[in-house]
Amino acid sequence: MATAEMIKTIAQAPDKEYYLPGHRTCAGCGPALAYRLIAKASGKNTIFVGPTGCMYVANTSYACGPWAVPWTHAQITNAGAVGSGIAEAFKMMIKKGKIKDEYPNIICMAGDGGSIDIGLQAASAMMYRGHDVLFVMYDNESYANTGIQTSPMTPYGAATMFTPPGPEIPEAKKFFPKDPMAIFCGGGHPAVKYGATASIAYPVDLMNKVRKGLAQEGPAFLHVQCPCPKGWTFPANRTVEIGRLAVETGMWFMYELEDGVKKWSILPKQLKPVEEYLQTQGRFAHLKPEHVAKLQAWVNARVQTLGLEVPLPPAR
Amino acid sequence: MPIKKRGTGLTAVADAWQLADIDVTASYPIRPYTAVMAEVAKRIANGLMKCEMVHGEGEHAQFSIAHGASMAGARATTGSSGVGVAYAFETYSPIAGGRCPIQALIADRTLDPPGDFGSEHTECLNLRDNGWIYGWAENAQESLDNSLMFFRIGEDPDIMLPQIVAMDGYFVSHIAQDYEMPDQEQVDKFLPPFKPQFRLDVNNPVIMGPQIEPEMGPPLEWDRNVVMDRVKEKIVAVTEEFGKIFGRKYAPFVEEYMTDDADMVFLLQGAHAVTCRSAIRYLRQAGYKVGMCRLRWFRPFPDTALKAILPKFKVVGVVDTNTSYGAAGGSGVLLVETRASVSEVPGKPLIQGFTSGLGGETITHEEFFKMAEMMKMTLEAGRIIQDAVWVNFNDYLPAVSEVQAAEQQVAQTKE
Ligand SMILES: Cc1ncc(C[n+]2csc(CCOP(=O)(O)OP(=O)(O)O)c2C)c(N)n1
Ligand code: SF4
Ligand SMILES: [Mg+2]
Repeated sequence: MATAEMIKTIAQAPDKEYYLPGHRTCAGCGPALAYRLIAKASGKNTIFVGPTGCMYVANTSYACGPWAVPWTHAQITNAGAVGSGIAEAFKMMIKKGKIKDEYPNIICMAGDGGSIDIGLQAASAMMYRGHDVLFVMYDNESYANTGIQTSPMTPYGAATMFTPPGPEIPEAKKFFPKDPMAIFCGGGHPAVKYGATASIAYPVDLMNKVRKGLAQEGPAFLHVQCPCPKGWTFPANRTVEIGRLAVETGMWFMYELEDGVKKWSILPKQLKPVEEYLQTQGRFAHLKPEHVAKLQAWVNARVQTLGLEVPLPPAR
Repeated sequence: MPIKKRGTGLTAVADAWQLADIDVTASYPIRPYTAVMAEVAKRIANGLMKCEMVHGEGEHAQFSIAHGASMAGARATTGSSGVGVAYAFETYSPIAGGRCPIQALIADRTLDPPGDFGSEHTECLNLRDNGWIYGWAENAQESLDNSLMFFRIGEDPDIMLPQIVAMDGYFVSHIAQDYEMPDQEQVDKFLPPFKPQFRLDVNNPVIMGPQIEPEMGPPLEWDRNVVMDRVKEKIVAVTEEFGKIFGRKYAPFVEEYMTDDADMVFLLQGAHAVTCRSAIRYLRQAGYKVGMCRLRWFRPFPDTALKAILPKFKVVGVVDTNTSYGAAGGSGVLLVETRASVSEVPGKPLIQGFTSGLGGETITHEEFFKMAEMMKMTLEAGRIIQDAVWVNFNDYLPAVSEVQAAEQQVAQTKE
């Protein structure tokens, strides 16, 4: 494995941008910010695979796109498979001497739907087969591009177009989300030696995780929480703040799994009550105390499962 | 030196892929096409081919893997059969619209239900509107030759379209036959290395497949339409050049058999042409002035060629080995396309539809005899007597006895 060149502070991050202005994402779009940081960290020798979702549609309107590196569309279903094909094509053409290229960084930038729902089969198979591809799941916790519908990552209690609250279903979304890190990096895909969660609220950490994932020979996985002002209903200037609050309340955990060893990237001193997070977003506005309690219990259980040693918020 | 071999349509295509030095192929098991991947896997293991075989997790992935590989600049192939072809459906238009000239081998097979392994052209015809170029081979040799010709046409910088080397499952894919594997030097002369103008290249960044505004779509679709017409010109030139280099001369679009003085012809594609030819020889002895037109291409559909050829005849019996339930004319896809090809041509023949050879059944001599007799009755009546005939199911109802008598009479000529 090559060693990744780490970035120590935001001031030390490369100036050069490979995800440029000139796209139609919403103001304050978390996934767009993630794209910018990821492209900055990966640099010139990079090819992006962009399955259908906001980061395809809102980025490439009018037949142009904001990338200064090669980018290709993939279907929402098949980012992992298209990435696999690109990877093996480069390997074989380089081996046969048909091209002089250096093997590129190949990054699939898939939404939660394109990673863990309709795109799960292709993502899983890419990781199983061990292709040298970094699979980034930019998680805005919904099918956003189609107008905000529930996905497996939509939190319990969130309102979406397909999960409106009403007298019969007061909590709106009823299920709890999937755990992509467990699915991809929990031992079920032995070729994945590096996986991490990250957040746009912690840019240096995110960029370094991108570099670690790319330095890894073979598949790597990043699960990046990306607040979405439109889907979560909050003002566009609060994206980063909400990303931080997610970590501080335990609605998001920041860790790496390297060769099966867990390493915490951010350790909150004490978790804040989940309610502080919920009240920042319109999607949770309908929740009653019993639903909030259910979410808090879920957070508390996640702390246990993940083995995080942190004081929980006092019970009410 | 070309090598004389005994093999199947599938080993023949493996030979073509070896000679074409493919870089990536993507597999998933389904009968009958599977054997080509088994063959390629063996050749990779033995060092005969330098190619990465990616084991897809399904057909959708197979086509997506080949798509990705092609965008990176590799010569990439894949293949499937039956429900597998259906499972990949989402990927067909993006591959063709992205102008990625991958090659797929489809050894056709019935769709479910019923679970049947036999050949039928339906699944492969289902993707006819997605911008792939394809045609059916009738034997192993033609499969190999088509593979090379299709690469050459599909990868032409003026074309850049994906191709399907189609063959009848089992009849072509699995029956051992003699064929000739060309020499590497011949192939290198005929098929230049794949060098796309645009590929995923960090030194020349491009974006592929962006979202567009509604008014930007129709010009792209117009371009895809225009290129299909251009394919026809390339087919003529490439088939001719192929004949010169390899010594095997094919009709570019439509092979005619015993049509010089024919009143009536069978029109079909693929392996059933073999039985059709021998049935015609018996029918000729019994006095039927019948011939055959075999389509070498389905997309682009050889309408121009048919406009020139078909008015020579009085009756055309289109034999559909596929289903298109509810289609105009009540038969299959070939009937619709053939009628549309010549509908405005003065002196066009009567065109009637037969459905036969479904589910992997051979179309027997006796069935061809019956069809010939029904065509003769059409000819004598000077009009279409019955729109669609599913052979053995609704043979001309008012005249079943005559048809049967004719069938027995021609059968005697076989003795
Ligand atoms: C096969 C298929 N089904 C449905 C769609 C419609 N569709 C377009 S974008 C999208 C949402 C994608 O959600 P996600 O992957 O989470 O990305 P996001 O839009 O949230 O960024 C969907 C469902 C599609 N493009 N393709
Ligand atoms: S809907 Fe959300 S993810 Fe999509 S562009 Fe807007 S802010 Fe970004
Ligand atoms: Mg999403």
